[in-house]
Amino acid sequence: MNAVREQRRQPEPEKTRRSGPRHVSAWREHHVWSLSISLRRLGARPLGTLLTVAVMGVALALPLAFYLLLGNVQRMGDALGRNQSISAFMKPGQNGAMAETAASALRGRPEVAEIVVRTPKDGLDELAEVQGFSGSLQSLDVNPLPYVLSVQPKPGLPVEQVDRLVEAMKATPGVDMVQDTGAWRQRLDALLGVGSRAVSLLALLLGIAALLVVGNTIRVDIQSRSAEIGVLLLIGASRPFVRRPYLYAGIWLGLLAGILAVVLAVVLELAMAGPVGRLTAAYDGSVSFGGLPAWLLLSVPFASALLGWLGARLVSARQIRRAAMA
Amino acid sequence: MIGFDLVSKRYEGDHQALTDVSFSVEAGEMAFVTGHSGAGKSTLLKLLAMIERPTNGVVTLDGQKLNTVRPSDIPRIRRKLGMVFQDHRLLMDRTVFANVELPLVIAGVAPADRGRRVRAALEKVGLLSYEKQLPGSLSTGEQQRVGIARAIVAKPAVLIADEPTGNLDPQLAMEIMGLFAEFQQVGTAVLVASHDLMLIKRMKKRVVVLDHGKLVADVPATEVV
Repeated sequence: MNAVREQRRQPEPEKTRRSGPRHVSAWREHHVWSLSISLRRLGARPLGTLLTVAVMGVALALPLAFYLLLGNVQRMGDALGRNQSISAFMKPGQNGAMAETAASALRGRPEVAEIVVRTPKDGLDELAEVQGFSGSLQSLDVNPLPYVLSVQPKPGLPVEQVDRLVEAMKATPGVDMVQDTGAWRQRLDALLGVGSRAVSLLALLLGIAALLVVGNTIRVDIQSRSAEIGVLLLIGASRPFVRRPYLYAGIWLGLLAGILAVVLAVVLELAMAGPVGRLTAAYDGSVSFGGLPAWLLLSVPFASALLGWLGARLVSARQIRRAAMA
Repeated sequence: MIGFDLVSKRYEGDHQALTDVSFSVEAGEMAFVTGHSGAGKSTLLKLLAMIERPTNGVVTLDGQKLNTVRPSDIPRIRRKLGMVFQDHRLLMDRTVFANVELPLVIAGVAPADRGRRVRAALEKVGLLSYEKQLPGSLSTGEQQRVGIARAIVAKPAVLIADEPTGNLDPQLAMEIMGLFAEFQQVGTAVLVASHDLMLIKRMKKRVVVLDHGKLVADVPATEVV
């Protein structure tokens, strides 16, 4: 009877109607409980959690690795192609005034960033700097080199406009021939465009794969807990309450996988540092190796957590409904 | 508190589980529902727990008609009920404390308050020292008492139990029924489905008798011999 007296002293049954502060407090308690229970469940099956995170982490690290590769090829192309201009060789016998006239005609074009007129003497001096030529050049009576217009196209110019510029240069009076030394750069840009699109599609596919991995993990988890779900619903739990720990589990799996992907990408960067250092040295430092940007490294775990949440959300409602009916 | 008004239930396959059953249980009253297997005892409790809906008639709980409750409101109404099952339905991977705590977590009670109330409920059923154990390490009777602690911890207005002593020896069964009687005395409406006539007679509480889904007798506590 002591127990009865104690119960008599206790407050009225739990209020079940929602009221402002009480509702907020209950909402907070539900989330705290769901968060901790989801972590405990993941910790209770460490191998399964580890495998899921590893599969997702590697899947997310792959696009990062390709992004790193593409970014550096682009950077290398930029560095090597910085001085790749289009050269227009004037016809023999053309003098400086004629070369300047041709240059003035081309300067008005929208595709042109800069034009430098190189005299035959400039050309001879450059050749003299090249090892092994200085002696033979001194023996020349007449400078055989023509005036050259070194035309720098505007950066990022589409291939069609560069081609149009080349045609215009060929048609300029006094020009003998045109050499487009930047054509390789255009091909590289086109290749990089293909690569960039491929990386985007790969990231999308692997993102979907990560989403499916989380979804399947959560589906199996819900199936194995169908009896528990039934009990929770019977004692007054709402479906969102039952669902919440699984959504948190998806977020944790995604977050951990995102962190793993970032770690793998950074390890890849570090592993590439040695060979890239030697490549940089070979180009007298004009080529530099760039890592993944900080914003990307920071955003990957968050994006991955979002994927995890989405994967869990997609399967949990249906699975819980099934468990409830069972 | 609990009302059944001309309630019928027909399952798919044309099985008539209940036919025009009418009775009510008031706050602070304890009643047994008895009858042979298939008489409709469990169906009656399922209607009250909103696991099933009646085919005809009206089921009320605390003045609310359960027939017209929207699915989204079912959890809120179930929180007014404490349910005890024959097979306990405990979560075997959680401690006794965590099991009993669940209704309070669902109700959004703060952790400090939860701890106090869970221990009070465990003390009531004599299992305070078992709070850190897993249910699997307890005897069947102890597991049933954990189930009762879970049912009462949120101080429900109504307590329903489906064959709660089915797996227990007579002495333990009487102890469990004694616990239910205590809750009745503090104003809780208690409805227990049981086919154990000896136990029912010893408890001297109101008895509702079902036979093939029909109410055939409603014996007041004073007339139980």
